[in-house]
This record gives sequence, C-alpha cells and structure tokens, in this order.
Amino acid sequence: MPKSKPRVAFFEFTDCEGCQLQVANLGLSLLELTKVVDIVNFREIMSEQGKNYDVLVVEGSISSKHDEERLRAIAAKAKVIVALGACATTGGVNNLKNLKSLEEQKKSVYGNVIDPVPDALPTRAIDEIVKVDYYIHGCPIYGPEFLKVMECILLGKPYKVPQYPVCVECKQNENICVYEKGLFCLGPVTRAGCNSWLPNYGNVCVGCRGLIDNPAANAQKDILEKYGLTVDEILEKFSLYCAGKKDRAKYEKEIKK
Amino acid sequence: MKHGIILKSDMDQWFDSLKKRGKVYGPKKKESAFVFGLVHAFKEMSLSYIPTILPPKKYYLPPKESLFKFKIKPYEAAKATTAFEEFILFGVHTCDIAGIQCMDVIFNENPADPNYLSRKEKITIIGIECLDYCDSYATCASVGTHIHKGGYDIMLTDLGTAYLVHINSEKGEHLIKGKKYIRELDLETRKKWDKIIEEKNKKFKNEFKAELPEVSKVFEEGFFSPVWEDVGKRCVGCTNCTAVCPTCYCFDVIDDVSLNLSDGERSRVWSYCQMDDFARVATGEDFRPGRGPRQRHRYFRKFKYSVLKYNKYFCTGCGRCTRTCMAKISLKETVNGLLDEKRGKG
Ligand code: SF4
Ligand code: SF4
Repeated sequence: MPKSKPRVAFFEFTDCEGCQLQVANLGLSLLELTKVVDIVNFREIMSEQGKNYDVLVVEGSISSKHDEERLRAIAAKAKVIVALGACATTGGVNNLKNLKSLEEQKKSVYGNVIDPVPDALPTRAIDEIVKVDYYIHGCPIYGPEFLKVMECILLGKPYKVPQYPVCVECKQNENICVYEKGLFCLGPVTRAGCNSWLPNYGNVCVGCRGLIDNPAANAQKDILEKYGLTVDEILEKFSLYCAGKKDRAKYEKEIKK
Repeated sequence: MKHGIILKSDMDQWFDSLKKRGKVYGPKKKESAFVFGLVHAFKEMSLSYIPTILPPKKYYLPPKESLFKFKIKPYEAAKATTAFEEFILFGVHTCDIAGIQCMDVIFNENPADPNYLSRKEKITIIGIECLDYCDSYATCASVGTHIHKGGYDIMLTDLGTAYLVHINSEKGEHLIKGKKYIRELDLETRKKWDKIIEEKNKKFKNEFKAELPEVSKVFEEGFFSPVWEDVGKRCVGCTNCTAVCPTCYCFDVIDDVSLNLSDGERSRVWSYCQMDDFARVATGEDFRPGRGPRQRHRYFRKFKYSVLKYNKYFCTGCGRCTRTCMAKISLKETVNGLLDEKRGKG
C-alpha cells in the first residue's frame, strides 16, 4: 500500500445494494476506517465521485455485455479487487436465472414484448471475468468480516475465508441444533464466517455464503432423507444460493452418485 | 470437616455466600438442552441436567482466548495475559471434572501453558455426583468417570432433603467455614448415603463389550478396520463432535490488528481435527484427507495415543459427541463395532 491513505471505491452491478448498506451501517467502525482509508466512491453515503482508486470493492454479479465491459474497465485501474457479497463472489441468487435458458427467462419476466435487455448474458460471479484478491461472502455480508478483510488489505496479507462449516460457529454459540427441532439447515455444508447469524435467531442457514470446498453432500443427503426430503428437494435447497458454477460442481459430483 | 450436610432449604443462603468469592457459573436450561452460564441465584440452575451443549471447558479454555496484546508502532514486547478473576464452577458433573483433569495433564506438560495454569488457579470447582445415567449415550462407566476421583474442591451428593458436602481442598474448606447451617455428617445420614451409593452402583454398567485394556488393544489392531470407512461415509464433517468434547484441546493461533494498524492482540481459537483443512500444510499437502481417517484420528486420540503418552484415556464418557452428531454416529457403537470385529475374527 502507498504511504498516503489508500483510496477505496465501491461499485455495484446486478444486486440490491444491501451489502453496501451493511457497510454504511457499520457506524463508528466506518468512521474509524475513514481515518486509514479515503473512500472516494460510495453512492450510498456520499455524492462525490473519485475517478482514481487503489482498492476496488465490487458488489453484484455480471449479467450483461455492458456490465462485463464496465467491470473490465474499472478493474484495470485497481491495485486490489474485493468481491463484496454473494452476488459478486458466487453469483448469489442471480444464478437462479441460469437454471433456464435466457430466452425462457426473458419471456417469463417481460412477456412477449420487444426484448428490453438485448445485451443480457447468463449470470456470472465477478471472478469469472477479473482476478479477485479478496472475497467477502454472504447475502448480505457480515459487517465484522468486512472490517477484518479491510485490516488484511491494509496490512497487505491475504484473508483466509473459513473453510469449515457454519456448525463450528453455531456450536460455539451453543444454539440448539435446528435439526433437533425438525428443520432443515444448510449449515453443515456452508462456509462459516457469519457467526451463525441465522441459527442464532432460531432460523435455518440458507447457504448464502456458498458451499465449503469439500461438502459431504452424500452424507448430508442421507441425513436430509432421514428427515423426509427427496434428492430434488435437497437440490432445490442448494440452488437458492449455490447454483453457481463452482458450487454446483462441488455437490453434484457427490450427490448424483 | 471432611464430610458435611446442608439442607436443601439452606442452599440459597450458601449460594449467596459463594458469590462473594467471584462469579458463579452453573448449568441452566436452554430450550431442550442445558448450557453453563452466569448464575445470580441458586434457583436459576438446573442441577438435574444432562451434559451441557459445550462442556465447562469454555471457561478454562475459551473458544477465543487472548494470549497477549502487542503494539507495532512503536514496537512493544508483549507479556502473556495472566491476570484472571476468581470464579466458581457450580454443579459440574464428575465426567466433566475428569475432562478438566485431562486438560491439566496437557497444559502442565513442558513447556507449561501460563495462560491455562494461571486461570486454573482461580477456579473453584463444586461438583455434583450423578446418581443415575444422564441418558443412553453416556459411556461414563466404561471409563469409571461416574465416580469422582479428585479434581474438585467440593462435591455435592443429593440425599433427598439435603446434600452431602464432600470437602476436598483448602479452597473448599474456606467456602463452608463458619457456616452454622452446614453440619458434620452424622452416623444416620452416613447410612443413608451408603444406601444411595449402593443403589447408584447397581445402575452403572460398563457400556462397552469389554474392559478398557481390551478396548485399547482393539484400537492397536484396528487401524485399518472397515468400521472407519463406514463412519467416514456417514460423517458430514460438521465438526460438532470435536466442538463439544471436554478433552479436545487443539487450537489455532491468530493475530488481530486494529484499524490503527498498530495495536494488536494474539489469540488462540479452538481448532478441530474434523475441519477439512486441519492437516493441510503450506504446500497444499493434506496429511489426513477424508472424513474416515479424520474420525479414526479423533477416536485414536481418546483411546490410544493418550494412553501411550499419558497412560490416560481421553474420553470421559460424557456422551456429547454422540448426542450432537447429526449423522447419529455413536461412540458406543463404534467402539463395540471394533470389539465385535475382533471377536468375530478371533
Ligand atoms: S469423545 Fe465423546 S463421550 Fe468421550 S469425552 Fe469426548 S465428547 Fe465425551
Ligand atoms: S458430529 Fe458427527 S457428522 Fe459431525 S463431524 Fe462429528 S462424526 Fe461427523
């Protein structure tokens, strides 16, 4: 990092901007952060727009030709690229679009009118287009993890995304396992890092951070089947957040056996 | 006094007197389970409980524990955090006390661990004797932890309308000194106590199909047993079995630096052999790939390696790993499976 404060710019693509909202909601920590970095572009909190930056934070997935070109252009100016949130890191819920052909999807959304988005493409995570240095998973992201990643960027060290499942955090929080309540939870196969956010409030994990590298999809399937779920229903559970290329490859090789 | 008697109706006032010594943590109900938590009044506790989700280990080896603070600019050498507050663990089961004794062995080994040992000095342990099985997952009789063998300051045994108070240390002595309502054990109550223990001993039976020396032997011979393959196929790798174990002590060390990029803290955090990257090294090599070998490792750490190294079984029979496993992998069945296999062959 240069001696002067590194400049950080936030840009968004296909998404709801909820992850940037999580950053905007960091309160005092965000003020602390501005002591060590210059935020030059962040439309949720400021109207100025800087053209030059060192750290590029990208939110959203890439779903059109125009997006792709814009991403390449803004990435070319950055020294460090951060993927912010599920849409950017894995494609997130936008991957649902890829479950059917583009034509079919357009038809179901826009009907039989003239194509309003002629340059639309299948959804992609940003690392399918540019090289990503830091991943902040989640839908939305978990604020403390964003700060942790910022710390790593400033220190010039890599950030290691947890490769263990949400259960690790859930147990440490001494939650009652939701399976014991008869619910289905993707925690055992989903990357940790959110401090078991949903189970802490009695909900099930929906897998928004994507799958761990080696999910025991088959063993998980056995368990879910014991709870009365069919393979298709299980795949559907995975597909809300884990329908991206990389995630599919992780579970399909095992689950379809 | 070595053995005292306290009426249950006097527990409130005794408990209040304990609070003067420090914070008290005890078992409390949480939905369908139990957890150790801060207790303000005796009635908040559930002393008739099955093992808590996490063992009381969370107080003497916290999931994330600060080892020391450091400063980068200007550089300042750090010293280990060794100042801890006094606290009391109330109502600890005998199996969990056995778990603490295992930790003592580990952290006393050269080089001794200053954080653990300084904290341990500040703990007062008040145990509660189990008079019946918690549930069918417990295997405490196999390793004999249903009977207390030291490691506590005071042990309570439920005698119906009163508790027997066994004082086992100077610290324990201190907690009952001057309490008029705690009287010396009399002959009649002694007989009642004997009867209760006689009844208790009838209830506990070795849950394994063989005695420990034979169990240890099947572990010696069962490294390549198909039992591990089966367990590996069912395991989802959630890590819960290692998270809840009172004798799992592996940790990772991490540094957190604050946003001023100077003040930092080094901590140790629980790390588990069931994690996918636990045995992966810098080159990417994984020395223990696969869930079968990982599960085998967990069992060997309880029934073989610790026996070779410390002459001690590192399973307390608390049953937590079985209770928590969503794949319903049972410690009792796994060990008995190894025994069956050997006998079948034999
Ligand atoms: S191995 Fe299982 S039964 Fe044994 S001490 Fe650990 S959690 Fe308890
Ligand atoms: S609790 Fe069960 S499923 Fe989870 S890692 Fe342990 S053995 Fe595997």
